[in-house]
Amino acid sequence: MGILAINRIYAALSALVLAFVLLPLVAIVWVSFFANRILSFPATGYTFSWYVRAWEQEAFRNGFITSVETALVAVAISLVLGVPASLALVRYRFPGRDAIQTVLLSPMVVPGIVGGAALFMAFIELEVLLDVEIAGTLPGLLIAHGLIALPWTVRLVTASLVGMSPSYEEAARSLGAGVLTTFFRVTLPIIKPGIVAAALFSFVVSFIDLEKSIFLVGPGRTTLQIALVSYLEWNLDSTVAAVATVQILIIGALLIASDRYARLARAF
Amino acid sequence: MSGSAMSAATTNPGGATAPPLNLPAPGARERRRLSPAFGLAAPGTLFVVLALMGPLALMFRYSLNRFVPGQMMVEALTLANYQKFFADSYYQEVLATTLWVSGLSTLLCLLAGFPVAYFLVRQASDKWKGRLLLLVILPLLMGNAVRTAAWMVILGDKGLFNAFVSTLGLSPVKLMYTPTAVVIGLVSVLLPFMIVTLQSIIEGIDANLEAAASSLGASHLTTLWRVVLPLALPGILAGTMLCFILSMNAYATPVLIGGPSFQMMAPAVYQQVAKAMNWPFGAALAFVLMAVTLVLTTTANVLVQRRYRRWSE
Repeated sequence: MGILAINRIYAALSALVLAFVLLPLVAIVWVSFFANRILSFPATGYTFSWYVRAWEQEAFRNGFITSVETALVAVAISLVLGVPASLALVRYRFPGRDAIQTVLLSPMVVPGIVGGAALFMAFIELEVLLDVEIAGTLPGLLIAHGLIALPWTVRLVTASLVGMSPSYEEAARSLGAGVLTTFFRVTLPIIKPGIVAAALFSFVVSFIDLEKSIFLVGPGRTTLQIALVSYLEWNLDSTVAAVATVQILIIGALLIASDRYARLARAF
Repeated sequence: MSGSAMSAATTNPGGATAPPLNLPAPGARERRRLSPAFGLAAPGTLFVVLALMGPLALMFRYSLNRFVPGQMMVEALTLANYQKFFADSYYQEVLATTLWVSGLSTLLCLLAGFPVAYFLVRQASDKWKGRLLLLVILPLLMGNAVRTAAWMVILGDKGLFNAFVSTLGLSPVKLMYTPTAVVIGLVSVLLPFMIVTLQSIIEGIDANLEAAASSLGASHLTTLWRVVLPLALPGILAGTMLCFILSMNAYATPVLIGGPSFQMMAPAVYQQVAKAMNWPFGAALAFVLMAVTLVLTTTANVLVQRRYRRWSE
């Protein structure tokens, strides 16, 4: 078989696989414009009215707001905790460094449902001990989402720190800059792309989390993903598709932006 | 007390999920001042210890408690929950389903992912490779809820697939709430992981080696089998592990497209902990899931590496 034929086979197979991966995306966006009152194929016409209806659904609207708030705080937590930790991992040798690295990355490794269940049990235990409410509250949710975002921030920020020569920091220090000045005036500007990518990516992984949140949402405080899943248990219509399309647009934009700062494929 | 459990959680069931960070080797610029490093790393580390390790240890302790209906949990030190799992044929079946669904999905990901990864590295231009990789990653990060909803639209009894089938004059196929649908859904989530992992290893294989093999008369398939495959084995292993682990832990796909009678392990954990409020048994299920995954991935790792050593000799 000639080289050309082989190349064509690879290209064709790749196109097929890519189509399979993208099919759900395309299908749900398409369906969100269907005019059919009950979801069916083919479309009888096209309309934007499902988007209005989706926004009118309190569960989706509140879920969206909760998800955005939660994700923003998760980004803050993961940056505040993750950037200094990455600095320690990359710039210093110290006993237990490997162990600390393992700990910091472990939230990625433990299955979401298992981590969520464990956190839920710990919260209930604390509630009994301290007589405060945690499990269904925003702080509880924020702790879980900080945990989801942290390892990704550590991954992306360490990657950009590894790519930066420590000589810049050493030069600043030897010229008399203090530790903090060096960090804010030298290190931070250089690794900014990595930090921006980490922030955007952390936002996304928090926003789409389902498994950990499912244990921790309470009445009146539900994330968008949980609202979607509980809606899907009983109905499947274009309202869900409209919500999904909005989510796809937001996340797509964030990822494309994030990819401009640091190649995302490296994070996996 | 929870030594084994903690290591199940922290040493890699995902050597694959969390590959090491590629930190600079020690020695290059040794700094011996300890305090700043500890100060920098402590808050994050402490946070994970308190919000993940601690709760996991607590959950392991709970898995040794006794469940008394109406009272929830009675303190005890018993293996009864684990015994119940291995004595109950229902849960054996749940585990068996989880295993075969994960195995099959992983295999399909490998078969479908390799050509794409190979194409991206060897044939696509740099600009297109970046774009296509992003296109592969995007659907991955749409979220399980949205992706699952999309598959429900496609696979439903009156869904897109059946609409297409009926325009061909064929009778509709029952896909929704079947294991087939779950495997389709899982493969579509896991393929991006496989493709990204494989392309990064194929990237490191010198194209000249393939050119040499084919100039010496090897067919393309022989070259793949004798040259590319052995060199790509570490990446194939990593990608396979990653897909297998992620599908062992899958929650949304089995729940929503598998339907109520299709049970896998992660949904069973949720069911026991949040719905049946049987924490000891739910906790035991969680640790069985992690232990089985860990044992299987470690065994596969050891076997493949032994094989790899023989190959590369």
